[in-house]
Amino acid sequence: MFDLQSAMKSAASGMRAQTFRLRLVGENVANADTPGFQRKTVSFDNEFNRATGAAEVSPGRVTLSQKDPVQRYEPGHPLADERGIVTLSNINPLIEIADAREAQRSYQANLSIFDQARKMRSGLLNLLSK
Amino acid sequence: MQVDPSTANQLFGAALKATAPTEPADGQGFADALEQALSEMRATVESGERAAADAMAGDGDLQSVVEALTATEMALETATVVRDRVVEAYQEIMRMPV
Repeated sequence: MFDLQSAMKSAASGMRAQTFRLRLVGENVANADTPGFQRKTVSFDNEFNRATGAAEVSPGRVTLSQKDPVQRYEPGHPLADERGIVTLSNINPLIEIADAREAQRSYQANLSIFDQARKMRSGLLNLLSK
Repeated sequence: MQVDPSTANQLFGAALKATAPTEPADGQGFADALEQALSEMRATVESGERAAADAMAGDGDLQSVVEALTATEMALETATVVRDRVVEAYQEIMRMPV
């Protein structure tokens, strides 16, 4: 039973990490046109849970990407500088969409592990019931 | 066949010891284990109820609720199965003709 519980705890921590990642993707996409906004990324850390002995994942520090922001030539824009160039954020929507897709796939993988552990435990208990 | 009364006494004494309840060697008999399991189950059910109340008030995040309710459901299932088995064993023993 202990191993099954550890599997479920690890899967739950994976789901939390992926939802955090998706939240950052949402922030990036929403602020794609905000001038001066820097893309937020997160790296995951391996965390050893002493109580259950399971290796879980936790979101690490949120870092801001230092890439050059997108610059557009638009003289009529209220934020254009003297050369007519508007500086927006450094977010590429295609990369964000791919990141969101990846977060969803990882989330589904963790969810199926959680469900599988639950089904295995139920199957084991069914041996005892008639 | 001749049975010596002292031998009979010894054999009776040995048989009597076998029917006496044995003390659990490591200090945790079946009753203690059952009690511990029940208290763990109560803690699990309490945390599940708290998580469900938080979710209905709009506070808790959905994943904690699902985790707590799953743990509650599994603990309840285990307790039900163990209870059925214990009751069945008890009834089986009561049915034995004396």
